[in-house]
Amino acid sequence: MLLQLNNIFKWVQSGGQRIFLLKDINLEVQEGEFISIMGPSGSGKSTLLNVIGMLDAFDEGEYHFLEDSVHDLKEKHRSNLYKEYIGFVFQQYHLLDDLTVQENLEMPLIYKKFKGSERKAMVADMLDRFNIVGKKDLFPSQLSGGQQQLVGIARALISNPKLILADEPTGNLNSKQGEEIMDLFKQLNDEGVTIIQVTHSEKNAEYGSRIINLLDGRMI
Amino acid sequence: MFFNHLKIAWRSILKNKLFSFINVLGLSIGICSAMVIGAIVYFDFSFDTFHKEKDKIYRVTTVFESNGNHFSNRGVAVPLMRTFQEGMPGVELAAPFMSANFFKVENKPQDLTFKNIEDAIFADNAYFELLEYDWLAGDRKSALSNPAQVVLSEKKAQRYFPHTPVSDVVGKTLMFNDSVSVKVSGVVADFKQNSDFKFTDFMSLSSAKMFGAKDIVTNDHWNGTSSGDQLFFKVKDEAGVALVEARLKELAKEHKNMAEWAINDERTFMLQPLTSLHFGGEYGEYPFNNSNHVASIKVLKSLGFVALFLLLLGCANFINLNSAQALTRAKEIGIRKTLGSSKKQVVRQFLFETLILTCIAAVLSLVLAPLLLRQFTDFLPTDINLSILYSLKGAFGILVLIVLVSFLSGFYPAFVLSGFKPVLVLKGQFSKGDKGVRLRKTLTVFQFVVAQVFVIATLLVTKQLHYVMNKDMGLKTNATAYINTPWNDKSDVKKERLYNAVKDIQELSNVSWGGNPPASNNYSTTILTYFKEDAEMHQETQLLWGDVNYLNTYNIPLLSGRQMLNDSVKEYIVNEAFAREVGFQDPANVIGTFVKLDTLKIPVVGLMRDFHQHSLHTDIAPMAITGDWGDDDYSMFNSIHFDLGKNSENWTSSVKQIEQAWASIYPDEEVQVQFMDEIVEGFYRSERSTVQLLTWATGLSILISCMGLLGLVVYTTERRVKEIGVRKVLGANLAQLNMELSKEFLILIGIAFVISVPISWYLIQEWIQSFAFKTNLSWWVFLTSGFGMVLVALAVIGTRTYRAANVNPVESLRTE
Repeated sequence: MLLQLNNIFKWVQSGGQRIFLLKDINLEVQEGEFISIMGPSGSGKSTLLNVIGMLDAFDEGEYHFLEDSVHDLKEKHRSNLYKEYIGFVFQQYHLLDDLTVQENLEMPLIYKKFKGSERKAMVADMLDRFNIVGKKDLFPSQLSGGQQQLVGIARALISNPKLILADEPTGNLNSKQGEEIMDLFKQLNDEGVTIIQVTHSEKNAEYGSRIINLLDGRMI
Repeated sequence: MFFNHLKIAWRSILKNKLFSFINVLGLSIGICSAMVIGAIVYFDFSFDTFHKEKDKIYRVTTVFESNGNHFSNRGVAVPLMRTFQEGMPGVELAAPFMSANFFKVENKPQDLTFKNIEDAIFADNAYFELLEYDWLAGDRKSALSNPAQVVLSEKKAQRYFPHTPVSDVVGKTLMFNDSVSVKVSGVVADFKQNSDFKFTDFMSLSSAKMFGAKDIVTNDHWNGTSSGDQLFFKVKDEAGVALVEARLKELAKEHKNMAEWAINDERTFMLQPLTSLHFGGEYGEYPFNNSNHVASIKVLKSLGFVALFLLLLGCANFINLNSAQALTRAKEIGIRKTLGSSKKQVVRQFLFETLILTCIAAVLSLVLAPLLLRQFTDFLPTDINLSILYSLKGAFGILVLIVLVSFLSGFYPAFVLSGFKPVLVLKGQFSKGDKGVRLRKTLTVFQFVVAQVFVIATLLVTKQLHYVMNKDMGLKTNATAYINTPWNDKSDVKKERLYNAVKDIQELSNVSWGGNPPASNNYSTTILTYFKEDAEMHQETQLLWGDVNYLNTYNIPLLSGRQMLNDSVKEYIVNEAFAREVGFQDPANVIGTFVKLDTLKIPVVGLMRDFHQHSLHTDIAPMAITGDWGDDDYSMFNSIHFDLGKNSENWTSSVKQIEQAWASIYPDEEVQVQFMDEIVEGFYRSERSTVQLLTWATGLSILISCMGLLGLVVYTTERRVKEIGVRKVLGANLAQLNMELSKEFLILIGIAFVISVPISWYLIQEWIQSFAFKTNLSWWVFLTSGFGMVLVALAVIGTRTYRAANVNPVESLRTE
């Protein structure tokens, strides 16, 4: 088992009332799963993803990741945990505009304190694997959307995470680019990476092994 | 990690060229002023710091108190020197010396003549024991033991004996003042470090009487104090200081001046440590020599404040601009954090960026510093330079400055930026946060308070300067001038010839004999005794000497009475202030009365109108003018005064004629025509440099503040893009939008103005106290400066708000 959510609640206070963003979420994820989270806008998909990614806190409930109880951890341990095991892929790619492809890939490694020579080897590896060696010195603005997302995924993968969290990874792409990206996810999943994606598209959801539907913060 | 930081920093600097430029410029203005001012301060603190046991060396100075006024003199009465030489408790070594002026030195064998030797003193071996010189030739212990011995500085030895090795100079003979043959007994190296001891000729103290100077062995004049007679000594230990002070107190009491007029005066001998020599004394200034640069702690302090404020302004600017930029950097930080960067790493990265910008600013400052320094050369000593910045000490100082500035300016933005929650940033919800706006507004207000205070101060100081420079002095200052006859040539015949030659020059009118000009920095005072209702009154009176034409030359009218009968009759013409001071309601009644000078009874025959004898720092003092009758040997008429006439085109030719006449009579001397208006201008030298300094500080602070304002405007307009779009869709026009956007900034400037008015009023009030005649601190000056500031600010704000208001609402509303 990779992670387990027990009775997770998250709310905000508005006008003296609690508005629930997540309500009684119970979820167990095994290693090697490919999960798609679906639901209408505002149903809490992204919030759930952020909670799983430990970027966002929750108000009630338990969250176990591998051996750790996330709800008991301090900020610093939590960030160490996700630094080590989780990679993020965003709809807007969120590459750093000031860095080249190569440097964007290298950045997570720097924060994990890899040595310079190791970093070089790992970056070269990844460029190779994604067939983007020729683009390594380009800046994000010089790439197409699909290529940027490719770099985004490569960056998420570079430090060998156990879990990839993708928030509408194809949302800004055309259908062909989207298909390529989803094929890539499928391939990664086959290689053993656990993936949780948020998506609007039924078609993309089909790639997953399991679909979770959310409505108003509840699993249905 | 390091290179990664460097790379990112460099790219983000290049990416925001305008911001980086403003940042660097703001910082370098601060750093540059800190460097230049630091160099100036260091220069003044570097004087005489290299002497051995410098903390044990003191100078005895004299402070007189009379009617609540303090006068200070760096010299002491000659017998006190002897007392010290004979032994004082606590004193290890006493080294008195007296200034000497030699009008001529001859090196007969080589047929060389040198005139007007300055920087010469009469000293004994103790002097060289007190201050350690590097002896190039001669024996330190005995060089000045006997009369007619002289020690020369290396440079001077080379001048007197060109092409002669230093070792051969010793033993050679020089002829001083035509009659005294003196042996060179030693040569010392000139001090390489900054020193106020700039003497070049050291004549043995025992030779003083050969030159008709005061003899330390026999002189018994306890009540004469000349600034040339200085007494230095070294204490045995710290306890010695108290012993010396106690003994000096006794000596002052023992030798009090018992003359009737001085009975209420008090004399105190004060100790001045060597380390404070360069900064003058507690009462007025007693500079070491006639150097035109007396360092003043007060001036250095104000300079320090100027530097501090400019630095702070630069830092405030940086903080403002960088936290304003947060919006654009937020995304980067969010991504970095999700990729595993800790808060500490983000902080480090931003501090590092700040450090790089500061370093660039520091390099720029090094380039700009000489330019800035050149702006102040008019009122800085000529030998000041920036070489200290390139020394080890300077480099260390700059390093500290860089680190300090980086930290001050980088700290806050770094923490604001690193505090962003990645989720919010990545969701694009960040812009709703309004963190730190209050701080930025406060900083902007601070900047504008400083700028506004500088503006008001500059305007008011300029106004005062204009006032004193243009106030009617009560005498003719334009076109009047004078020349001094050579002080060492006492021949009356030559003087008379010169006078007649000057008088013959057609363009000149009202040529007269006299002493000092009516307005100058010189004081000659005496005590005149006046009888009133049988009581004796002692009136301190300033004296002028002039012939019957002197008052005409300077257009000073007689209000009543008459001119003196001739140039040597014992009569006084007094001014109105004198008459009032001795108690006449109607000043004209003073005529016909008598005053007593020592034992002489002298009639007051005329009343002249009051005029300003000195700068407008001082009031008009009681004054009397009289002819030349004091001393048979020494004439008080040493200057020829004249009017150059209305037509200024002729002045050059007149001056040339004067020079020709002079050259035919005193071929060896040089003539200098001194113009009255230049002398008056000279009164306000320090005020003019204040204006110059203030103008610079004002310009720079306005520049920095406007840049800071720009930062705030950029931030606000970016934040309100959507609001502007909505307003525009709802029908707001350009003017309304601009007004809406400018409003909040104008409020800030208004607040700054309100704060700055009392501050600047107080500061100027303090400053203007040193003037007896003050200009009005008019309300319109304050108002004008505030209005001007608003205009400048509006121009800055306008550039941004206009652009923001022009954005097509379709675009601004589409985002998100």
